[in-house]
Amino acid sequence: MDALLHFLPQVWFVILGLFLFLYVMLDGFDLGVGILSLTSSDEERRSLLMTSLGNVWDANETWLVVMGGALFGAFPLAYATILSALYIPIFMMIFGLIFRAVAFEFREHSNRKLVWNIAFGAGSFLAALGQGFVLGSVIEGISVDEAGHFIGSTWDWLDWRSLLVALTLIQGYVLIGSTYLILKTEGELQKTHFRTAKLAAVTTLIGAILITIATPVFYETARIRLFSPPLLYIFAVIPLLGLLLVWLLLRSLNREEERTPFIWTILIFLLTFIGLGLVVFPYIIPTQITIYQAAAAPSALVFMIIFVGFLIPIMLFYNIYQYVVFRGKVAGSAYGD
Amino acid sequence: MVEILSNTVALSRMQFALTAIFHMLWPVLTTGMAIYLVIVEGLWLKTRNPDYYHHARFWSKLYVLNFGIGVASGLPMEFQFGTNWAPFSEAVGDFFGSILGFEGAMAFMLEAGFLGIMLFGWGRVHPVIHYLATIMVAFGANLSTFWILVANSWLQSPSGGEMVNGKFVVNDYFQAILNPFMVKSVSHMFFATLETSLFVIGGISAWYILNQRHQAFFERSLKIVLAAAIVVAPLQIYIGHLSAEQVYHYQPTKLAAMEAKWETSPAGQPADWSLLALPDESGEKNQWEITIPNALGYILEFKPNLSESVLGLKEWTPSDRPRMVGLIYYSFRLMSGIGFFLAGLMLWSVLQWILGNLASEKSIDKNGCYAPGFLLLPWATSLLKPVGLYAVWVGNPGHSMDKFARLMPLPISQRVTSSLL
Repeated sequence: MDALLHFLPQVWFVILGLFLFLYVMLDGFDLGVGILSLTSSDEERRSLLMTSLGNVWDANETWLVVMGGALFGAFPLAYATILSALYIPIFMMIFGLIFRAVAFEFREHSNRKLVWNIAFGAGSFLAALGQGFVLGSVIEGISVDEAGHFIGSTWDWLDWRSLLVALTLIQGYVLIGSTYLILKTEGELQKTHFRTAKLAAVTTLIGAILITIATPVFYETARIRLFSPPLLYIFAVIPLLGLLLVWLLLRSLNREEERTPFIWTILIFLLTFIGLGLVVFPYIIPTQITIYQAAAAPSALVFMIIFVGFLIPIMLFYNIYQYVVFRGKVAGSAYGD
Repeated sequence: MVEILSNTVALSRMQFALTAIFHMLWPVLTTGMAIYLVIVEGLWLKTRNPDYYHHARFWSKLYVLNFGIGVASGLPMEFQFGTNWAPFSEAVGDFFGSILGFEGAMAFMLEAGFLGIMLFGWGRVHPVIHYLATIMVAFGANLSTFWILVANSWLQSPSGGEMVNGKFVVNDYFQAILNPFMVKSVSHMFFATLETSLFVIGGISAWYILNQRHQAFFERSLKIVLAAAIVVAPLQIYIGHLSAEQVYHYQPTKLAAMEAKWETSPAGQPADWSLLALPDESGEKNQWEITIPNALGYILEFKPNLSESVLGLKEWTPSDRPRMVGLIYYSFRLMSGIGFFLAGLMLWSVLQWILGNLASEKSIDKNGCYAPGFLLLPWATSLLKPVGLYAVWVGNPGHSMDKFARLMPLPISQRVTSSLL
C-alpha cells in the first residue's frame, strides 16, 4: 500500500512532465514564431509565418489546457497554491494567449491587418514572458505555510532571477521558432532564420548557464541531493550532453541544414526538461511541497490514469498524423483555395 | 463601491461571472455548428452536389472564428479556479479537477487535433478521411459539453462522496458523475447548443436571402435548420421543464427565487403562478404581481394540486437566501420566453414552408422586394437566443458556487486567495 502511495504520484509527475514538455516544445515554436513576427518587415512574410502555424497552433495550445486540468485533478494543492501565488504572471500569460488566438483567426479575414499583427506578435511575447515568470517563480520557491497554502505577497514572483528565467525562456522559444521556420520555409525567409537561430542559440546558452549559477535549487538542493552516486553520474552527463547538442546545433546551422537544427533544438529542450525534473523531484513546489503531499487521493489518481492515461497514445497518434498531413513547406493561403 | 474593490470575494465573483458569461456563448455556437457541418458534409459525400460542399466551406469559416474566441476566452476558465478560488480547488480537486482533466484530454484535444484537417485539409486527405475529421471535431466538441456539464451539475447536486476535514473525498466516481442533475443538465445544454446554432445559421441565411444575395444557396441552409428545429425547439422546452422540476426537488431556495415566492404553498393544494412581479427583498414581498390562479401545480407537475409543498423565501433567514431575486426571477422568465418564442417562430416558418412561401422565386414580388417578412425574425432571434443563454447562466451557476461554499466547513469567502490585493 505504501509503495502504491508513492508510485501513483510518481506516475502523475511523469505524465505532467510529458504534457508540459509537449506544450513547451510545440507551443514554444508557435510563440517563438509570434515573437519573430515582431521583427518581420512586410505583410507577405508575416502571412507566411502565420500560415505555417495556422493548422497546428490550437492543438499545440491545448496541451496547456490538458496539463492544467491534469494538474488540478492529480495535485490539487499544487494547482491551488501555484496559481494563486502567481495570479499576475498567470494572467499575463492568459492575456497574451487570448490576443494571439484571436489574431490567428481574425487576421485572415481582416482588411486592417496591423491591429492583428500587433495582437499576434505582442500576444506571443506577453504569453512567453508570463510563462517564464511562472517557471522562474516555481523553481525559486513559493512561500507557503505548513498546510501548503500560499502566505507570500502579490509581487513575490518579480525579481531579477525570475526575470532572467523569463528572458531565457523567450530566447529558447525564439530558437525553436527559428528552427521550425527553417524547416517550413525557403529562400530569403529561411536565410533570415538561420541568422536568428544562431543568435538565439548563443543567448539561450548564456541564459541557461546564468540560471544554473544563480538559482538556489540548482546550487544548493542539487548539490546536496545529486552530488552523490549514482545520481552524480547522470547529473555530470547532462551538462556535457547539453554542450555537445549546442555544438551540433550550431554546426548544422552553419551548414544550412534544413531539418537537423529543429531536431537538435528539441533534444536540447528535452535534456533541459530531464535535468530540471531530476533536480526538482520529488518536489512539485521545490523544497516546500512534495508530490506526495500535493497528490489527490489514490482512487482519484487511479481513476485519472484509466481515463487520461489510455488517451495519451491516442492523442499523440492524431497529433502526429496532423503534422504528417501538413508536412512540407508553407506557401500562400492556408485554406488552399 | 470602494468596499467592493477591496473585497477579494466580490472581485473574484465579478471576474468569474464576467469570464464565464463571455466564454459561454462561443463554445455553444461551435458545438452545435459542428453537428451542422457533419450534416452538410455528409450530404455532399452522398449527393456530390457542390452546393453542400460550399456550405461546408462557408460555415466552417464562421465556425473557426467562433472557435478562436472560444479557445481564447476558455483559458481563464481553466486557470481561475486556482488563481482566485484556491481553497475551493484544493477541497474539490479530486473530483472537479479530474473532470476538467478529462475534458481537456478526451474532448478538447480531439476537437483541436482534427480542426486543422477539417479547415485546411481539403485536397490533402481523402474526402472520407476529411469527413472523419469533421466528425471527430463535432464529437470532441460535444464531449466537452458533456464533461463540463458533469462538473457543473455536480456542483449543483454534489454526490458520490462526503466532506472530510474540509476536503471532498470521493467514494464512488460513477455516482459522482451520475449525480442527480447530470442527465437533465447535459441534455438541456446539448439542445441549447443545437438550438442556438440552428437559429444563428437560420438567421444569417435569412439575412442573405432578405438582401437578395445567393438566395438559392442560403435557402438550402435555412431549410436544413428549419427541419432540425422542428424536433429541437419543442424538445428543448420539455427538457427545460424537466430541469425546472429537478430544481423544485433539490434546490427549493433557487425555485423560490426563480418564482419570487415569499410564502410557502402547502402540499395537496393548488397554488397561483406569478407571471410578472416586482420583487422587493428588504420588504420580503413583491411590490406588485400578476398571477395566474392555480397554475403552479400544472407548471411543475401537470396536475392541479402540488404533491410537495413549494417553500417560500421566508422559510430561510435572509442571509441564506439568494441575493438579487429580481435578476433570477426575470432571467428565468426571459429564458423560458425565448424558448417559447423560438418554438413559435419555428412553427410559423414551417407553416410558410408547407404553403410554399419559402421558395425564393415565389417570395420575391414584382418590385423585387421580399414578400413574407417573416424571414426577418429569425435574424432578430439569432441575437436573442444568446440572451436566453446568458439569462440561464446568470440564474444558475453564479448561485452554485455559493451553494457549494456552504457545504464547506470554512466558508470559501474567508479563504479566497490573498494574491489579488
